[in-house]
Amino acid sequence: MSEQKTTREQSSLNVSKLIRWIAGILLLALVGWRVYQTAFIEGGYGPDTWMRFIIAGLVIGGMYSLIAIGYTLVYGILFMINFAHGEVMMLGAFGGYFMFELFAFIKAPTASDPNMNFLNAYPLVSVLLAFIVGAVISATAGFLLERIAYRPLRKAPRLVPLISAIGASIFLQNAAQLLFGPQRRQYINPDVLWRGTGWSIPVGDTTVLLTYTGTLSLVLSALLMIGLFYIVQKTKLGRSMRAVAENKQAAALMGIDVDAVIGKTFIISGILAGSAGVMWGIHNGLFNHYVGFLPGIKAFTAAVLGGIGNIPGAMMGGMLLGILESVGPAALGLDFQLKDVIAFSILILVLIFRPSGLLGEALSEEKV
Amino acid sequence: MRTSIKNGIRLGSIVGVVLIFFHLTGFSVVASSMLGNLLGNASRTANVTRLPIINLIIFITLLCIFAGGIASKNKEIDSWGNTLIPGAITGAFSGLLVAIFVYLIGIVYAQNIDLRNYLPEVGLPTINYLLFDGKKFASLLYFGLMTVGCIAGAAFFKSVIRADWRKKAQTTSVQTFKKFVKKSGIQKFIGNKITVYVFLAVAALLLYFLPTQWGPYWNYIMGTVGIYILLGLGLNIIVGLSGQLVLGYVAFFAIGAYAFGLMTALEPHAISMNFWLAIGFAILAAALTGILLGLPILNLRGDYLAIVTLGFGEIIRILIKSDMLTGFTNGPSGLNGLAQPRWLGNAFTDINFFHLIVIFVIVAIFIANRLQSSRTGRAWLAISADQTVAQATGINTFKYKLLALALGAAFAGLGGALFASRNQFTGPEDHILMVSINVLCLVIVGGMGSIPGVVVGAFVLKGVPELLRDLESYRLLAFGALLVVMMVMRPEGLWPKGRPALEALYYQKHPKDSPPDGEVQS
Repeated sequence: MSEQKTTREQSSLNVSKLIRWIAGILLLALVGWRVYQTAFIEGGYGPDTWMRFIIAGLVIGGMYSLIAIGYTLVYGILFMINFAHGEVMMLGAFGGYFMFELFAFIKAPTASDPNMNFLNAYPLVSVLLAFIVGAVISATAGFLLERIAYRPLRKAPRLVPLISAIGASIFLQNAAQLLFGPQRRQYINPDVLWRGTGWSIPVGDTTVLLTYTGTLSLVLSALLMIGLFYIVQKTKLGRSMRAVAENKQAAALMGIDVDAVIGKTFIISGILAGSAGVMWGIHNGLFNHYVGFLPGIKAFTAAVLGGIGNIPGAMMGGMLLGILESVGPAALGLDFQLKDVIAFSILILVLIFRPSGLLGEALSEEKV
Repeated sequence: MRTSIKNGIRLGSIVGVVLIFFHLTGFSVVASSMLGNLLGNASRTANVTRLPIINLIIFITLLCIFAGGIASKNKEIDSWGNTLIPGAITGAFSGLLVAIFVYLIGIVYAQNIDLRNYLPEVGLPTINYLLFDGKKFASLLYFGLMTVGCIAGAAFFKSVIRADWRKKAQTTSVQTFKKFVKKSGIQKFIGNKITVYVFLAVAALLLYFLPTQWGPYWNYIMGTVGIYILLGLGLNIIVGLSGQLVLGYVAFFAIGAYAFGLMTALEPHAISMNFWLAIGFAILAAALTGILLGLPILNLRGDYLAIVTLGFGEIIRILIKSDMLTGFTNGPSGLNGLAQPRWLGNAFTDINFFHLIVIFVIVAIFIANRLQSSRTGRAWLAISADQTVAQATGINTFKYKLLALALGAAFAGLGGALFASRNQFTGPEDHILMVSINVLCLVIVGGMGSIPGVVVGAFVLKGVPELLRDLESYRLLAFGALLVVMMVMRPEGLWPKGRPALEALYYQKHPKDSPPDGEVQS
């Protein structure tokens, strides 16, 4: 924007800014007071409960981060919200589920137990293969999505690809429902990874359970994020991705195949989302065709919270959102059914007070 | 040759995957039973074991003829070789895919494994049917059928649809018709104002008398279409005219319905407000919510706005349902026994209620139309075309965007109140995200920014599915696909908005400046 604003416009801007900041400070004070009240005066929860909330938040936050990176990568390059990204994750969850069912079906008799199945005989291989298959399915879905629903609309006005993405999201959700049925399904984990088993950590007088599934999710999401960071920062593909995000035409002039780079970006974000989907299934157990919708929107919230287009921001935003969502209802003394309200409220508040996110720099006119 | 092989394989893989998808989702069986209904060789509720195989063959053949027609199109030289070879490649490749699939399914069938736990639509009777009554060589049959079908389709399109004699016949018949219209003086008659009035009178009479004839079921369906026209008109102002994508439109619908419900239901507040007052209150409440929501977020960029409003819609629904507000909103059980309209002491019948909806729709169309061609409407158009330029020409963009949101919300509030009153009930599950998506779909399918488009869209998306009840479970799937296809092929919609009169006049005088056709404004 130019600097030659009229004084009137400037003053009106300042007034609205002032109102916004006063409202923000009031809100912050209210939240702080409420947290103080529930944590110290009412004292309904001991330190072990808080610990439990934070662990649960970190695990779910890792999954949000993985999905949020997908949003951020695509947004950084195409400046569009890949609305169907949650559905890509849902397909990954189905892929992992079917692998587990297949392994449970295959017999692998050992000397001690003739009824042993492959899933329990080789749990590590099974889990690894489930993750690989989930990631491959999601990557394929992401790639096809880009080819069919987004590539023809590269030059269209901005709302057009977004509407196309909404259509793709509805399509994928209902296709999964028609193919696999609307009922909730349960991941049958290998016995060593059974949900509800884990290490007990002593906190105060009691112990807090750190589940194996949660640890697996957290460690794996950290590894995937490190891998992604390596790809983006150190490899040729990462360099071309950053170049395309900076300026498509200049990148094309430098000999970068822009379409191929965009396709690969969708594949990478699909791999991350698919892994998150399998994690979701292994950790939470129940899932159905609708599983991608809420995590998808929340991961978008996480991406906005960290600053959209910014990869470390998406990682941090995901973790932060997971913890806030898990701790929030208890800290504010609200019902736990309102945790989605907290996530959406964070989205609205971030967009009002700091649209560029926590780590994002002010974006140019074209990108904002 | 090489490109034709490549295109053939590409199209063939699409056709193959589509047919496999149809098989797995049970659509093939549903289509066969619908064909049976059409041909009269199977009853509507016939079990899959009673369906004649010929229906499935006809269905696959029709699909292949269509695919072959597409495969043979877009050739520079329209020779027989250029037509049949791509058709054959497409058919052979898709046939190969489906044959592999059918072979695998046949193995499963031979083992007597029931897949219904994983793929609920594919039980053993269905597999038996899809294998042409358990034929061992079903995969070969599929391959042959699809290849022949695609070649036949290509030949059919070449010899009939794209043939010179058919095109000539079409142009001559159209010309004769035009000549006839000109000579007989019908054209004068059509352009006449009196004709328009007569037409409107006939339409009004039809709208008055039809509801008494078509029974309560269609009355209900058409009432729903009417309410969706109201919602569509409102969203059309926000999305189509001012170019703000709002995905949480259901929030305003919910607020209208709940404002109406809380004012008139006996529980939990027992205010028992008059119907007409409550309608006004619902409209006001929704419009006020629109303004309050718009104040902080309207400066956001388009796609941020979409997600924020989507989040807002979800917040409203979760809050309505939550335990925290149960004392105020009655929670998940919803509000019962809402007010019915009364006029001069008489309660409304269903038919009267339909008339009421029609009157509201007509008023709403009038308002929307006047707004669209007013200075406000032109300001909206300018904002949707380019916000910065609009601001530079002296339009207070924030004010106009807020106005659009408030007006759109008011329409939604009216729709919500009518919906709640007609059902005498409203609950949180009436206000799911799907309502927003449905309304957005009808606006886009009809054509963004076009009022007749909204009406057409509401009939296509709410009325037509009622005619095809067998396809109910595929409705949303088709919506999703329709949105993508629409955006890729025809983003302007079924009935696109015309350019405003002055602009059209300018382009008539200066044809050089006119933008290329099919350009979208959003």
